[in-house]
Amino acid sequence: MANTGWDEFEIGAMLRSFDGKIDDIAGTLQEDRAYSPNNSFVASVADWRIEKPVFNKDFCIDCQFCWIYCPDISIISRDKKMIGIDMDHCKGCGICVEVCPTNPKSLLMFPEQADEETELANWPAKDEEN
Amino acid sequence: MAFDKMELRDIEVWDGNFAAAQALRQAQVDVVAAYPITPSTPIVEGYAKFKSDNYVEGEFVMVESEHAAMSGCIGAAAAGGRVATATSSQGFALMVETLYQAAGMRLPIVLNVVNRALAAPLNVNGDHSDMYLGRDSGWIQFDAYCPQEAYDLNFIAFKVSEDHDVRIPAVVNQDGFMTSHTAQGVHTLTDDDAYGFVGTYKPMNDMLDFEHPVTHGVQTEEDWHFEHKARQHNDMMTIVPGKIEEAFAAFEKLTGRKYNKVECYDMDDADVAVVCMGTSVETAREVAKEMREEGIKAGVVGIRVLRPFPFFEIAKALKDVKAVAALDRSAPGGAAGMLFNEIAGSLFNTDSKMLLSGYIYGLGGRDLTKAHLVDLYKELQANADAGKVLTKQQQFIGVRGPKLAYL
Amino acid sequence: MSEMKKIKNLKEFSTSADRFEGANLLCPGCAHSIIVREVLNATNDDLVLAASTGCLEVCTAVYPYTSWDASWIHIGFENSSTAVAGAEAMYNALKTKGRLKQPDRNPKFVAFGGDGASYDIGFQWISGCMERNHNMMYIVLDNEVYANTGGQRSSSTPIGSSATTSPAGSISYGEKMNKKDMMGIMAAHNIPYTAQVAPNKWKDMVKKIQKGFATEGAVFINAVSPCTTEWKFDPKDTMHLTDLSTDSLVFPLYEVINGKEWNITYRPKNVVPVEEYLAAQGRFKHLFKDQYKHMIKEWQERVDANWEYLNRREEARV
Repeated sequence: MANTGWDEFEIGAMLRSFDGKIDDIAGTLQEDRAYSPNNSFVASVADWRIEKPVFNKDFCIDCQFCWIYCPDISIISRDKKMIGIDMDHCKGCGICVEVCPTNPKSLLMFPEQADEETELANWPAKDEEN
Repeated sequence: MAFDKMELRDIEVWDGNFAAAQALRQAQVDVVAAYPITPSTPIVEGYAKFKSDNYVEGEFVMVESEHAAMSGCIGAAAAGGRVATATSSQGFALMVETLYQAAGMRLPIVLNVVNRALAAPLNVNGDHSDMYLGRDSGWIQFDAYCPQEAYDLNFIAFKVSEDHDVRIPAVVNQDGFMTSHTAQGVHTLTDDDAYGFVGTYKPMNDMLDFEHPVTHGVQTEEDWHFEHKARQHNDMMTIVPGKIEEAFAAFEKLTGRKYNKVECYDMDDADVAVVCMGTSVETAREVAKEMREEGIKAGVVGIRVLRPFPFFEIAKALKDVKAVAALDRSAPGGAAGMLFNEIAGSLFNTDSKMLLSGYIYGLGGRDLTKAHLVDLYKELQANADAGKVLTKQQQFIGVRGPKLAYL
Repeated sequence: MSEMKKIKNLKEFSTSADRFEGANLLCPGCAHSIIVREVLNATNDDLVLAASTGCLEVCTAVYPYTSWDASWIHIGFENSSTAVAGAEAMYNALKTKGRLKQPDRNPKFVAFGGDGASYDIGFQWISGCMERNHNMMYIVLDNEVYANTGGQRSSSTPIGSSATTSPAGSISYGEKMNKKDMMGIMAAHNIPYTAQVAPNKWKDMVKKIQKGFATEGAVFINAVSPCTTEWKFDPKDTMHLTDLSTDSLVFPLYEVINGKEWNITYRPKNVVPVEEYLAAQGRFKHLFKDQYKHMIKEWQERVDANWEYLNRREEARV
């Protein structure tokens, strides 16, 4: 949001989460919400990342550990299935990888500039040690 | 269970505290969060009794400190309804953090401040130290000189504060004990007229509107803070004065009682004038009349609205006066008194040749006697005759020991 | 009373539509937002939220952005509890007067605060709200330090921890005081529900939060929130640290009903030695020097004694 002048915002530094009326927030998924320009949903922290998680759905069992323990609402689960990562909001903490129980893991951290397709093609095999 | 209305006589004998409590009842406040402190306690007690007797339908939350009282008021106001409380002195001081927050969040709240000295040394009596402490907090500030005005100004405060173009909290000051505990005849409004005047609360940016979620109390740093504070000041300077005039006019229409941002008494031809607040205004008015019998053309100016400060009204009221005394009832702590400075600021850069002197008086409830004021008017007349201030510009009056005079 | 949200398992839970948003400014790996998400997703009812000044507040409402999809207020450091209590009072008033805009809703009133805001500066405000038994929930995000201001000790900081105002040094093992027993103090208010939770045990936590929401009256929740910055561990290890905290019994999970009925809600199958918990954090690194090693033994004894105490309280039912 542009830095507007003193007469161009609502009094009391009050912010609205949505544009207009929303009837049932808890029953409305993110993609169906009319976020206001003041909702941090419209912002990005992608530039915080040094490493990024890459999701390999071939090994995912949809346990949802990554969903519940993600601090940044960046694991996108729909209809009980993990479908991807919100790369605008992921800060690259790596918790999702740590809590992923599959073998090999369905999520792994790679340098931010790594090529996702290459990494998926070279995904590690099952670790027999564990 | 519907609440009961109260039948009032046209004139009731009320002290300032009970008058304020009655006003809160008649305004049908939704939430009062309060904490007792002398001398404002009877407002809270009076309200609690109204609640117990089913004259109040709103919530009364008796919290554990004044800071919590105002915190609760802020939460309630942000939720979206009419909110009021009362305090004094140390309690007001404890509230100060939240006063700035309420004003900055633009939440309408009415706070009755029953003025009392600030410790140390501890003192329960009336002076204006607490009023002065809050003067830059961003609240609208009214000043009542007697129980009638404490009653009336509460209604006016709700009307101005809750206006959607304003949304700035308001203080109604009254003198501790001298007003708060002194019973006088008060012309009442009927419950219906009183509520009709303040009107049903109209919510705005309310947290209880679940279809429009709002975030209140954000953080702004150097890129935004200045703009928000500037907006707050601008609205105080450009919107509030007109809204106060409108409310005063509407109130006069309803009751016949006329209020002005600056109250002038015997000022049409005055050579010398005293500017003061609170009950001192009435004392000064009496002395001014007596001085006129002695040939001194004395007048009195009372500040009715301390914030936003009536800069131009003061300049107008004093422009032809030869000598003026600013009476400050608060320890100035190493400076000229607040009224001295405000008046000087109002008249500076004008054609006025007014001579201004400041007096510190009445700390901790010390009486301002008629004799003090007689001497004071004579000093002003001497200044007027000499064409210069013959005394120091700041003097203490009514204090024991060698004369204290500075500047 | 509204119908309680059904959360049988994690798959079902994952269908929740979050009301807390990303691109907030909390550190990568911060447990605060994991806790907030579990709390908010535990209900579908409307929410009136407050936060005390602190990490959660300064990172989620920095103008011109808000990360909250529900009514939210911040006033100061000490008064998120009373802010929500005031809002709850207004709700009751408008309900009585028939002036609620959406009278069919069943809003939940929740205040968050860090341990500094709760154990220290806001202690009196919370106590007042609990004593008055407002229909609200107060949740401490307990990271045992003033994290937002850079790691000063609070009365929640445990003994032996190195904080910036009680740093470990050549003659000091760091913090000298034991952590304040906030749970005990709050339970002693005889409020309907008090509970300690941890985000790793999400099912236990959601159950307690739902129980709290279903409770008429004041609810106090203490949530352990491992702080990657001040506890000094890698951000990816937040859940590992949370596991160590619950499984070493340093943060036992339990609830107290009406101040009398104490229930331990999680008994780890394999209790982890406290030493492992301490060793995983930079704030306790100095305890492993010979000079301060005796502290580790004392830590274990203290944790054992507390566990024994909780078990006896549970048994006593008084």
